[in-house]
Amino acid sequence: MTTHGRIRLIEDRCTSCMICVRECPTWCIHIEAHSEELPPTTPEAGLGRPGVHPSRGRERRHNVLDSFDIDWSLCMYCGICIEECPFDALEWAGEHVAGTDSRAGLVHDRHTLGEGAAERGQRGQREIE
Amino acid sequence: MQFVDWFGDGSIVVVDLALACCAVESEFAVPEGAPVLDDVPTGSLPVAIVSGTLTDAVSGLVRDRIQSLGPNVHVVSFGACAAAGGPYWDSYSVTKGVDQLVHVDHYIAGCPPPPSALTSHLESLRSARGSS
Repeated sequence: MTTHGRIRLIEDRCTSCMICVRECPTWCIHIEAHSEELPPTTPEAGLGRPGVHPSRGRERRHNVLDSFDIDWSLCMYCGICIEECPFDALEWAGEHVAGTDSRAGLVHDRHTLGEGAAERGQRGQREIE
Repeated sequence: MQFVDWFGDGSIVVVDLALACCAVESEFAVPEGAPVLDDVPTGSLPVAIVSGTLTDAVSGLVRDRIQSLGPNVHVVSFGACAAAGGPYWDSYSVTKGVDQLVHVDHYIAGCPPPPSALTSHLESLRSARGSS
């Protein structure tokens, strides 16, 4: 059985779609993101279409994650965010969240939530190889 | 109030203010056969554990009980509800954390936290007192 201890963020997979934020029953996830323009990958693809500059293809925009916080003083460890994430960017990470001497210490940012994600990725990569 | 002499040596005596489901876990952490006292022995550190959902209706009672343990009391918030209201933070009748009433020295996260989290905190508290 999976231990409902802490939740890990695999940042590379997160698209800032906000589904976890909205599905969370306790609203304990807070995401800040902005969108950035991506240059057209095939400049000739959009030629002749309305809204497309004649010299280049269609621009695209993608979300860039600025912050991802989980407030462990609100979380009920139900795992709905993990279930709902379409990109598997969240997963159970085993051990329980450590206690702190301040309430602010119960809010973990993207770096704390991502701890172990890099090692996990390397392990996954080795398994593929 | 009843005080659990946690380690049986009078170093730390614990009052568990068991308010809701987290109390199942905090009660489970109590060492088997730990002496139960009616008063705080001299030289002991009183520890108040708030486990479970704190409602506005009982918040005054909880504050009075903790304050009656004196200025040296070490307050532990056990679980999400005691820390900030937990899943009920938006409820009209739930206090948004024990720290709205008294100073909290340590927060244990979880919904519920494992009993071992409480045990290890009390053990570290005891060893910190022993070394000071």
